[in-house]
Amino acid sequence: MRDYASPPLALMTIGLVMVTGVYLIAVMDRSMATLIGGGRWTLGDSAIGPLRSAALLLVQRRRVTERPDAPAWALAPALLTGLAAVALATVPIGPDTVATDPSTGFVVFSAAIVFVMIAVFLHGWSSNSALAMHGAYRFGAQALSFQIPFLLAMLATALPAESLSIVDIVNAQESLWNVVRQPLGLPLYLVVGLAVSFWGPLNLPDASDLAGGTSVEDSGVARLLWTAARAAMLLAVAAMGAAGFLGGWWGPWLPGPAWVVVKTVALLALLLAAGHLLPRIRIQRFVVTAWVILIPLALVNIFVSAAVLL
Amino acid sequence: MSGELLLDAIFWLFAAGAVVTGYRVFRTDSMVRAAFYLLASFAAVGGILVLLGAEFVGMVLILMMAGEMLIMAIVMVMYMMNPAGLNPMWMVHQHRVAVAAGLLSFAVLAAPVLLVDFPDHPNPAPEEATAQLGEELLGDSMLVFQTAGVALLSTMIGAVVLASRRGRYGEAEEGSTEPSLEQDLEST
Amino acid sequence: MGLRSAFSHFAETAAVPVFAVAGGGAREAVGRLSQSPTVELVDTPAAATILLVAGSVPPSLNPALTAVHDAMPSPRGTIHWPLGADQGELPTTPSAPPIGPSADAADAIAHVFRALLSGAVPSEQPIQPNADPNPWRGIGPYGQGGSGMTGGTPYGRPMAELAPDRDGLRLDVLPLSVGPFFPRFPVGVTLEVVMAGDVVIEGRVTDSPFIGHESSFLAGPFLRALSHPAPVAEIELARAREHLRWVSNALVTQGLPALAMRVLRLAATVTPDDATSVTALIRRVRLLRVPQWSGAGVGRLAPELLPGLGLGPVSRAAGLREDARSTDPAYLALGFEPILGHASDAAERWRLRLAEASQSLELARRAGDRRTEQTGVVESPRGRLQAHDAPFQRLQPVIPDLLAGLEWGDAVTALVSLDLDPEEAGVAAIPSARADAA
Repeated sequence: MRDYASPPLALMTIGLVMVTGVYLIAVMDRSMATLIGGGRWTLGDSAIGPLRSAALLLVQRRRVTERPDAPAWALAPALLTGLAAVALATVPIGPDTVATDPSTGFVVFSAAIVFVMIAVFLHGWSSNSALAMHGAYRFGAQALSFQIPFLLAMLATALPAESLSIVDIVNAQESLWNVVRQPLGLPLYLVVGLAVSFWGPLNLPDASDLAGGTSVEDSGVARLLWTAARAAMLLAVAAMGAAGFLGGWWGPWLPGPAWVVVKTVALLALLLAAGHLLPRIRIQRFVVTAWVILIPLALVNIFVSAAVLL
Repeated sequence: MSGELLLDAIFWLFAAGAVVTGYRVFRTDSMVRAAFYLLASFAAVGGILVLLGAEFVGMVLILMMAGEMLIMAIVMVMYMMNPAGLNPMWMVHQHRVAVAAGLLSFAVLAAPVLLVDFPDHPNPAPEEATAQLGEELLGDSMLVFQTAGVALLSTMIGAVVLASRRGRYGEAEEGSTEPSLEQDLEST
Repeated sequence: MGLRSAFSHFAETAAVPVFAVAGGGAREAVGRLSQSPTVELVDTPAAATILLVAGSVPPSLNPALTAVHDAMPSPRGTIHWPLGADQGELPTTPSAPPIGPSADAADAIAHVFRALLSGAVPSEQPIQPNADPNPWRGIGPYGQGGSGMTGGTPYGRPMAELAPDRDGLRLDVLPLSVGPFFPRFPVGVTLEVVMAGDVVIEGRVTDSPFIGHESSFLAGPFLRALSHPAPVAEIELARAREHLRWVSNALVTQGLPALAMRVLRLAATVTPDDATSVTALIRRVRLLRVPQWSGAGVGRLAPELLPGLGLGPVSRAAGLREDARSTDPAYLALGFEPILGHASDAAERWRLRLAEASQSLELARRAGDRRTEQTGVVESPRGRLQAHDAPFQRLQPVIPDLLAGLEWGDAVTALVSLDLDPEEAGVAAIPSARADAA
């Protein structure tokens, strides 16, 4: 077993990173929406606006529906936040700086990603509302479809490293980033990353044609926690993308951690822009695409990179 | 040492959690809750596996069970005529027989654990779990895993064929029905 | 609590989350309000602090309005915005005086919001009593309400049985009523569906609540053109703006709210000389593949169902050459030719409306002082409009066939592509609806 950071320090660091990341995502998202919408962009609106809206949500009293499954409804945002924290904990910032580095770090990350569908299903089912239940059904189909392409795309990055530990995967990119070695990998990962954090074109469970989907009955603190948890999940996906495909801390002039931040922010900007510019994909089309196109592409990716290595 | 104490406490937490949530599967009156209590029980067992040093197996258990329990919950909601699974209902049939069978199987499984004299050769924790797993999968146990893999693949293909848009008696959009049943009804 | 009041004070200048009910004659004003940065229109009352009742709301929608009001979390407030209509007896009591015709609505709303958060105005109480509508009454004489497959008698719940569908097993169905304030449909559209999972088994749209609802909301240029000749430039500019507003709502339905806001701004300010911005928009929308991704093959209406219905872009997208403007000499003199499509699906209706917006701007630019020469029938952006005969009523019988078997997202896309407008049906049913009060 490798060395682990002390649990309190690790928890505090992950918490800090998550809060900062969620705030950054909120600011970037609001800025993009203002710019694309043709409004006037002011730093004050974009930087302080999200904080004011969060304060408003904290002041609102939570209102409940008739006979919900209260424990499950309260559990869902907490579970999603916890899963984002677990996913973030496996992403390394430097060769010796990581919250946790089990020798099967990739499997821990994958388990956290797969468990997201439980959190979203609980969120939609427990509020006893038809539109929310529908969002939960949709995410069930979406999640079951993206799991295999996700696992296969990430697995290809483990091949050059000959290890399932994320630190080893990043170390193996010292000479050449995975995005160059496996060109199919990053686009595939980004599509599946959007599906995991149900953002933008793949925001099917919380869709506008369901008037908010699984969060249609959320108010007050619950709404704030769910939005923050979703943003944290997007951050975790972007961070792992930077580590697994863009070479993590490797780069010329800046120190390692700064490169990790730069690459994560770049991927975040890409994902947020996709959210504002691409229309939502129909669930039937996504399911068919995931099974019929993405899985063969991921398999081709694995075969080609394995052939190159052998 | 506090590390040992912490590990022991975590183990007992997971163990108690697995037993309690397993019991709740049968005492709850909601189908979806039953499926997720079962998931919680499996997740606790996965946690215990990680404590035993079998990280890969533990994490994969959690990963697979999440998908399976979600499918179980959705299929129950789909077929049980219980709107979205939120109406209360009994989850068990033949109550007394089920309790008796459960207690009996628990006794049969617990007896070896308590009565057998387990050997005391502590193994060093695996340093390179992945490498050892890989050598096992593609070395001694290759026949087993390849056969299982092919069997699973054919099952998946069969399931996809069954669920495909074109049913046995025509396209799904046209509401295909078994021709023989209709003829029987018409003839009587 | 000190912390709570600190947060309240900090939140006073946040973007106000408003659930807007845009009744008769209020859609354009609410659209303009949504462009203001101080106000944020939300999709669900659970996220809203202020309920804005704008325009005239028919009394048959009062129970729904009450439900929406009570569904908001506290602190909550209500604001009425008559916009020249007589709002009648609304079930909600406003937290502040109604917004006057010349007032800045965003400012008024922000003012009430600040007062709510600082405690100057008390949060509103729920209108309905907080009682359980179906309290448990214990076990009845026939075993109902009791234990054992709760629901009483043995075999209280039917098990899965055979059904004449592809799988041969009957699935659990959920009858649902969506509307009348569903954010993607105009106010007054109530969709009654029976769903199995995410597939619509059967669906229908109820009659327009605006029919028979006498109120003094103003008639638009299309209604005015029914009774006397109107300037072609004015009508075509109004048509272009309506089509662009439709595009904005359709973009929100497809999950692109930022782009929708841009289109809404364009819709409010476009002039006949501005045709280049519309062509640029068309190119951008098609580049992002919005119509194809969302609507290709969705909501297909068989062309055999449509002849004679005069449903505007819906008919023309099916290849039917039905346009009331082609019998008007004023338009023929301008060289007007209706644009036709061939695939009768949602994507084609998208493309057609964008193309017609361009065409309308072009006509408005070339029209000069011409006036329409036929009265009694006019081509509104939704189809052939006559007194007592609006496109909404002709669309209703077509909808059940359209919706059967569609997945919910496709069903919403299909209904949005039909451009239902119950308000137009209501105004058309009122003879000479204040046509001169423009």
